[in-house]
Amino acid sequence: MIRKSGSTWVLAALTALVMAAVACGGTTPPGTTSKGTITVGGFAFPESSILAQIYGEALAHDGYTINYKLNLGSREVVAPALKSGQIDLYPGYAATDLEYYNNKAGEATGDAVATTAKLNSHLQSLGLVALTPSQAVDQNAFAVTKATQAKYNLTKLSDLAPIANQLTMGAGPECPTRPYCIPGLEKTYGIKFKAFKALDTDGPLTRAAFANGTIQVGLVFSSDGDLNQLGLVVLQDDKQLEAADNVVPIMRQTVATDNVKKVLDNIDAKLTTADLVTMNAQVSLRHQDADAVARAYLQQHNYFT
Amino acid sequence: MTFILSSLQWLTDPAHWQGPDGIPIRLAQHVQLSAESVAIGALIALPIGIGLGHFGRFGNLAINISNVGRAVPSFAILVIAFQLFGLGDAPIILALTALAIPPMVTNSYVALREVDADMKEAARGMGYRELAQLFRVELPLAVPLIMAGIRTSAVQVVATATLAAIVAGGGLGRYIIDGFATQIYTEVFAGALLVALLALTTELVLSALERVLVPRGLRSLKAPASRRATPFKTA
Repeated sequence: MIRKSGSTWVLAALTALVMAAVACGGTTPPGTTSKGTITVGGFAFPESSILAQIYGEALAHDGYTINYKLNLGSREVVAPALKSGQIDLYPGYAATDLEYYNNKAGEATGDAVATTAKLNSHLQSLGLVALTPSQAVDQNAFAVTKATQAKYNLTKLSDLAPIANQLTMGAGPECPTRPYCIPGLEKTYGIKFKAFKALDTDGPLTRAAFANGTIQVGLVFSSDGDLNQLGLVVLQDDKQLEAADNVVPIMRQTVATDNVKKVLDNIDAKLTTADLVTMNAQVSLRHQDADAVARAYLQQHNYFT
Repeated sequence: MTFILSSLQWLTDPAHWQGPDGIPIRLAQHVQLSAESVAIGALIALPIGIGLGHFGRFGNLAINISNVGRAVPSFAILVIAFQLFGLGDAPIILALTALAIPPMVTNSYVALREVDADMKEAARGMGYRELAQLFRVELPLAVPLIMAGIRTSAVQVVATATLAAIVAGGGLGRYIIDGFATQIYTEVFAGALLVALLALTTELVLSALERVLVPRGLRSLKAPASRRATPFKTA
């Protein structure tokens, strides 16, 4: 008897949750008739939720009804959802998406425009399209501490070449064998480090090694939220060694009207990697909600006026 | 079979025997980490075990507390200590020391408890004071069991020091972690083989040391009568 009433409670709670979720799902702008409904999806990491809601909120402001399907999972879940029309749009990354849609043919380069063009050649037949890539990137990057940066006056990876023999570099144990890492740095930039320290890929070991001075250069991701807090500076990849993982909206062609493109292009034209770092920090370090962070970003950049 | 062969090839490749990544350096790091941990563990565990065994008090308490070290996974200690101490050898040595202590406490306690009460009484009867009795009579008799505890600790520590590589430390575990990251599984297997060999060597070296440390009189009891240093006189 007790057990039964218990499960009834659970059922009631679940029903309430589902109803609340349905109620929250659509955001129609006040006082206007909807220009149409767009479902925005996202990957299961905070940056994707932020980007999805920046796109979504901007479109909602322009008069569309927006449904969100966030934290769907990896690209293996999100891309099929787009193809089948369960979602209409997701914030993609040019190089990684290209290598997904071309079945890892290795076509991605450091050139964002060329990579996106290649991506579109694969999306075309699927009824999908990638819009203009933003300059904001979330890709492998090499960082130094502010002290190292000041000492050697570094801004870009080319600056490292003459002094690299004084520095120790840290990354995951696979770095010495991967083209984007040590072999690439050597081939593209002529950088040869004094030593390599096997740590992890952009994880706690790399951070600890920066903190106690074991390494001076380390592999991170360019949009990591804690870069500012740790006093790390990403060196510009001036010879485009890393595949261009610029943020780019990928969507269904039927939804990509001129007006929708205009709204999204307008956002991507201004979005920077520094914005990603700031917003990722707000979500992952200060535990703010992704939707609030997205709205604040749009407000600050006068998209709501 | 080809996998095992290629692992052996990896081991015999001269390129893997030189440089900062070479087997001699990694082996030295592994031995150093293990030796430091067992030494620190012994400095903590042996006085506790021997003292409590000698006085015959609080033995169960000490054994139970030190057994916590066995129950908590070394991996967890390592990760928590890494949060506290950051990069370096400290987290590894802390985790390995915690692993090294319990067998040494337990064995040395039992070793001292097992000393024949008649022997102690005889020592007292001959005028030995407390410390003299402990050092000249009880400890020599307890050596085999105490050494067995040290041996158990050392072998466990050598095998577990592999974890050091997880927090960017050195040692033979590097081959396992690096081989896994680069999907060179022959390197992983070769690393595991090296660790196993080192653990066995540790066992053998400490057994030899035990044989040297055991007092002659005690040794002779195990030897055949003809080779006894001091043959028992038949009255």
